[in-house]
Amino acid sequence: MLLFNLQKNSIMLKHKNKTAFSFLLAILLLSAQSCKKSFLDVPPQAQQTSETFFTTAADATAAVNSVYANLRSFDQTAFGAIAVESVPSDETEKGSSPSDAAFFNLYDNFTYTSTEGQVFGFWNGLYQEVNLCNQVLDNVPAINMDAALKARYIGEAKFVRAYTYFRLVRAYGGVPLRLHVPADQTQYNIPRNSAAEVYAAVEQDLTDAASVLPQSYSSADVGRITKGAALALHAKVAMYQKKWADVLTYTNQVMGLGYSLFPNFEQMFRIANENCSESVFEIQCQSFPNVIGASTSQYSQVQGVRAQTGGGWGFNVPTTALVNAFEPGDPRMDATIIFRGETTPEGDKVDPVGDNPRYNQKSYVPFTVPFVQNEGEDQNIRVIRYAEVLLMNAEAANETGNSAAALNSLEMVRARARGSNAGILPKVTTTDQTALRQAIWHERQVELAMEFDRFFDVVRQGRGPAVFGAKGFKVGKNELMPIPQSEIDLSGGKLTQNPGY
Amino acid sequence: MRKLFTNLTGAVLVFILFINAAFAQQNVKGKITDATTGETLIGVSVLVKGSTTGTQTDVNGTFSIIAPANSTLTFTYVGYTTQEVAVNNQTTINVKLASAATQLAQVVVVGYGTQRKIDVTGSVAQIKGEELSKQPDPNPVSALQGKVAGLQITNSGQPGASPQIIIRGTGTVYGSNTPLYVVDGVWYDDINFLNSNDIESMSILKDASSESIYGVRAANGVVLVTTRKGKGKPTVNYNAFVGFQTVTNKLKMANASQYATLVNELNGTTTFANPASLGVGTNWYDQILRNAFTTSHNLSVSGGTDKSSFNFSVGYFKQDGTVNKNTYDRITSHLQQDVNLSNSLKIGYSAVLQGSGSTDVPIDLVYHSFTASPVVPVYNPDGTYGDPAKYPIGNIPNNPKAQLDYFDQKNRNYNLSGNVYGDLTFAKYFKFHTSFGGQVAQNNTDNYIPVYKATTNQYSLRSLLTLKDLQTRNWIAENTLTFDKTFAEEHKLTVLLGQTAQHYKTYNSTASAYDVPNNTTGDRYLALGSATDRSVNDGGSLATYSSYFGRVNYSFRDKYLLNASLRADGSSKFLGSQRWGYFPSIGAGWVISNEEFMKNQHIFDNLKLRGSWGKVGNASVPSNLSILTVTRSPYYTSANGGVAGTGANITTLVNPVTYWERGVGTDIGLEAAFLNNRLTFEADYYEKRTEQAIFAIPVLASLGTTNGTIIGNQATFRNRGLEFTANWRQTVSDDFSYSIGGNFSFNNNKVLSVITGNNPIYAGTGATGGQLTTITQAGLPIGVFYGYKVQGVFQNAAQIASSAQKDASPGDFKYQDTNGDGVIDARDRIVLGNPNPKYLYGLNTNFKFKQFDLTVDVQGVGKVDLYNANKGLRYGAENFTQDFYNHRWHGDGTSNTYPSANVGGGANYYPNSWFVEDGSYIRLRNVQLGYNLPDNVVKKLRIQRFRIYASAQNAINLFGYKGFNPEIGGQGDQPVLSRGIDNGVYPLFATYNLGVNVTF
Repeated sequence: MLLFNLQKNSIMLKHKNKTAFSFLLAILLLSAQSCKKSFLDVPPQAQQTSETFFTTAADATAAVNSVYANLRSFDQTAFGAIAVESVPSDETEKGSSPSDAAFFNLYDNFTYTSTEGQVFGFWNGLYQEVNLCNQVLDNVPAINMDAALKARYIGEAKFVRAYTYFRLVRAYGGVPLRLHVPADQTQYNIPRNSAAEVYAAVEQDLTDAASVLPQSYSSADVGRITKGAALALHAKVAMYQKKWADVLTYTNQVMGLGYSLFPNFEQMFRIANENCSESVFEIQCQSFPNVIGASTSQYSQVQGVRAQTGGGWGFNVPTTALVNAFEPGDPRMDATIIFRGETTPEGDKVDPVGDNPRYNQKSYVPFTVPFVQNEGEDQNIRVIRYAEVLLMNAEAANETGNSAAALNSLEMVRARARGSNAGILPKVTTTDQTALRQAIWHERQVELAMEFDRFFDVVRQGRGPAVFGAKGFKVGKNELMPIPQSEIDLSGGKLTQNPGY
Repeated sequence: MRKLFTNLTGAVLVFILFINAAFAQQNVKGKITDATTGETLIGVSVLVKGSTTGTQTDVNGTFSIIAPANSTLTFTYVGYTTQEVAVNNQTTINVKLASAATQLAQVVVVGYGTQRKIDVTGSVAQIKGEELSKQPDPNPVSALQGKVAGLQITNSGQPGASPQIIIRGTGTVYGSNTPLYVVDGVWYDDINFLNSNDIESMSILKDASSESIYGVRAANGVVLVTTRKGKGKPTVNYNAFVGFQTVTNKLKMANASQYATLVNELNGTTTFANPASLGVGTNWYDQILRNAFTTSHNLSVSGGTDKSSFNFSVGYFKQDGTVNKNTYDRITSHLQQDVNLSNSLKIGYSAVLQGSGSTDVPIDLVYHSFTASPVVPVYNPDGTYGDPAKYPIGNIPNNPKAQLDYFDQKNRNYNLSGNVYGDLTFAKYFKFHTSFGGQVAQNNTDNYIPVYKATTNQYSLRSLLTLKDLQTRNWIAENTLTFDKTFAEEHKLTVLLGQTAQHYKTYNSTASAYDVPNNTTGDRYLALGSATDRSVNDGGSLATYSSYFGRVNYSFRDKYLLNASLRADGSSKFLGSQRWGYFPSIGAGWVISNEEFMKNQHIFDNLKLRGSWGKVGNASVPSNLSILTVTRSPYYTSANGGVAGTGANITTLVNPVTYWERGVGTDIGLEAAFLNNRLTFEADYYEKRTEQAIFAIPVLASLGTTNGTIIGNQATFRNRGLEFTANWRQTVSDDFSYSIGGNFSFNNNKVLSVITGNNPIYAGTGATGGQLTTITQAGLPIGVFYGYKVQGVFQNAAQIASSAQKDASPGDFKYQDTNGDGVIDARDRIVLGNPNPKYLYGLNTNFKFKQFDLTVDVQGVGKVDLYNANKGLRYGAENFTQDFYNHRWHGDGTSNTYPSANVGGGANYYPNSWFVEDGSYIRLRNVQLGYNLPDNVVKKLRIQRFRIYASAQNAINLFGYKGFNPEIGGQGDQPVLSRGIDNGVYPLFATYNLGVNVTF
């Protein structure tokens, strides 16, 4: 509060008008002073400007970290992936409660349209990943840093970009191929590239990545992309293009890198056995107590047992068709599916009543594992396992007429599943190419069940109408997702729609 | 009471030393009354003309002044015609002042000064502080509801929350769309710290020319607030009320047996074997809502002489929320002093200190009470909480009572704002004004989650303490020079030049720690928690402005008026050549009634035509829109090797250039007074275009940005409307007088052009699944509801088979196949409704009969649509309203308007016309009945005035809307684009108070 002793001062001030005036003038000048240019130059607050980023090795590290972290995004691992990569198959259906997120049913019965939210969500999530990679690939080369580390970072980013474009191309067909951050607005709106062009770019990235990435990392870097991952993904990409010789080449290279199948199929999917000997590419999910919000992975949560403490939302549940796909006694069935009323090997009692008879056990995290944000947020996502490499090798060997090699690789997978129980899963012995092909395809179905590959496997095998026809699959249409309508609208029609939509 | 006064004198007045005027000629006494009503006028300024000697009338309307016998006394009073009376040796001068409510001499507060109403060429509405303090709202803006044409106030109902205010339609879209508040020259975004009792008057600048002098922040209108100043001999005022609030228009929910019936229908199975046996079940609203206590006390001491004046006040306000546990209380203090250091130099200050605190409730509690199942008991027989997961009702995680019981959050807010200033008059016609003011504020939120286990899904294994802190440091320095002279008694000229520098800084931080012991609030420290997993984050903002402005007001014989102004604003928010914006205005007026040819007519006491044009700016957009920044977030933490790797990257795109958003407005107004000024009338037509409006513009998802948008200049839109205000005042007799005022305004909002061409902007999350519910497109109003048109409800499988919706089930909505392609998808959506109200109205009346006074205010909004998203927000078996139960489809032929219980499933939850409802309402805004103790009684009690009153606010609300409350604002960064979407608003409540006004 300001206090004025007026009786004393007022008379004095009358004689000091001049002083007062000068004082006020001084204030005026002072304020005017503050209006010079610097007063209005205010940098962004609490934010780093892009100009000062990508200048140090630490910046490169941070950017590459973001590339890894974003692989856990909701669109890439939860609803978007379930809708586009899982529910259209015959192995899963919507789950949850009947009225919750009913749009998944549209994917189950092939009635989704180009305006459906997940058609956009999956697209959007993957392109966000592409941008993170492109930022690294455009900007890190100019950073003055350790050359070996720089090369590795570029290799890692190339792998993730290739993985992301692979998911895009197999879901949507040819998509706009962005291999650089747009320099200006003229590069915002670009047309679709052909699927072949996208595949070529993916293969180039994978070739580059495999040439620089190490076979393994020290414990502080476990989970980073390895040479084996780049080769294995390259094999898979080649397989989708039916380049069987390449598949053989790359799988054989991976098979020379020392991977081995983890003995216990069920335990392989638990947190304790992450990054095991069978792991080729695994998305690292972990919460850190001092970094709240570090793991935002909802992969396990959205598929977790519904309405139980520590469970989850109960989406993407195994179908009867999947149950029936397993050979009698195959222990992988119990390891892949949580049945209502069962007690899990970890001791969780699953309610005998509930909305769904089955849940995904490969994403399962025991109910008692603590979490900060989302149930099961620490569960790594197994993307490529050595078992798949062996099955790709078997398929390519069979397609190229080498049934002995095919049977050998196939048997490795079956033998692990069989374990010590000789009475189940008899060794496949047929050398008939067609029969063996069926056997390998079947093995993929049960070995890789609930791993978001079944739909695309069936489509690439040309069996879409046969396997999914009853659910509504239409030839010439449902092999591909529609391009999101909003994207076509924003492009002003520059983007074209896939046939049938 | 005497003692109280003495104590106060001791406590407060000791600081004030009055100056004895040193002349001793003649003592003149008198009483000032209203010429029409005979009412005594308090605080009339009495000045010896040509000197600085002056006084003011006391609460009895009397004054006493020492004046030279041959001098002239000038009597001035806001709202009345100034009168001059020659003393001529008289010792008693009684004066009847003519009310200038409509008279040309009325003085109104305008930008950087005051103007006679006659001289105003724009549209300015002024409300007196007494009008505002009649309403028991903690926020003075709430009290404006229904008082001013063209002003839309949307109250949130949550204690302590600021209302949304829109002047003449939506002015801006992105960022804050609140008007600029100027309190005693200091700029604010919000005035929730102000107590209505401390306000002398509020001026609402509605047209672009009046606003233009505040260029940079005027795009959403300007509200000028003048706080009270002391006058006359020292008086003490005590105003208080006590009362309660009660929820009105409570929603009736389905009871347990009705609910069970619906769940069975929803699931198509007998989930509940015998619904009828479940009876009424739990009424969750009864568990969380209550009648809430409210009280307010205000004490002020004020007074003044010709040398100095002061006004000190302290106020206490307490309002319990209508949700259990929710409380809000506030202490305010207003301190003001003016001192004339000499004939030419005056200095002073005005300060507002405020402290408030609240005990919060979960923001989604009301929504959870809406959805909670009535079959779940609050408590089980063993005393544990009823657990929704133990009932076959799907995904309803929440027992609202448990949620409320374990919610522990307190908020505290401190605010110091005000300014110091000096006025120097020199060279007869010049006045230099300098002022420095600002705001220092702090807001703290403490949230504590204890270790608990209430239900399956409501538990916490570890305790977590989260502390949030928001600091505000703003300052504004301003200098103006005014030249004011009347030439040849007919050319009145006022010239204003000014300069301003402003600085706005905020800093926010959030810190949290686990395992903090559950001590009392005061003992909760982060340091007591686990050291290994504390977390801290912060952020801030800084913006600066530099401005120069000038204005010329000219009037000729009070007949022809011309005003022109120009403001140049530089803002740190814009870069390079776009940094400076220039905002001109011009206005002209013609006072027809002052023309010679009108001298002999007796119809109009006043007739004035005015027109104006102006430009305003909008800098309430984020800073540095054209600078690309790095996204750092814990979200980007990698986990390779089990080690947290800090992540950062560039995840957005920016426009290379962002331009100032500008508002360009025209206003044409007519002012008239009839029947000896008893009837006054004012009409305005306005048109305001917002050019280069800043939006978040959608971009291709394949660009991979994290927000999917680029913020930039996007659209031009227009608000066009009409406003009418009429007042009737009459004094029927000495015992009875009354006034009736009405206002009606009509606004039409339309987007004229969109830079992205045909690509509309979809926005407005809030419906199920966060689906976008509004569209903004050229040719339509901003943010209209957009979705499927419901044509009916499928009654049976045959209807479905012949429709475009083969996946539908009986009881589902049948949507219109707008484009006729045989498929129902997003391309079939149409405009469903407009959340921008077409018209607003208010009726404000005052009656005085002997010792009684009565105020009745009515207010309403017409032709507006709301989106009742609550009806569709369903992920399992949420509860239904009784209305839904009564009207639902539950078999062939049962309903063709309401769907089956599966309203949240299938395609039924897609934004559609069933959710759009009429949001019109009319409300008995305020009724106040007062009684003044007669003068003789009051005199015996040795007080000046004693009034008691009873009041009811929002007692009657009439609306057809099927939610709690038709007052629904917007949310998020672009609130305008999500207006009217109801997903769990706070219930509407009525307030009943008993109050007292005492003057000593």
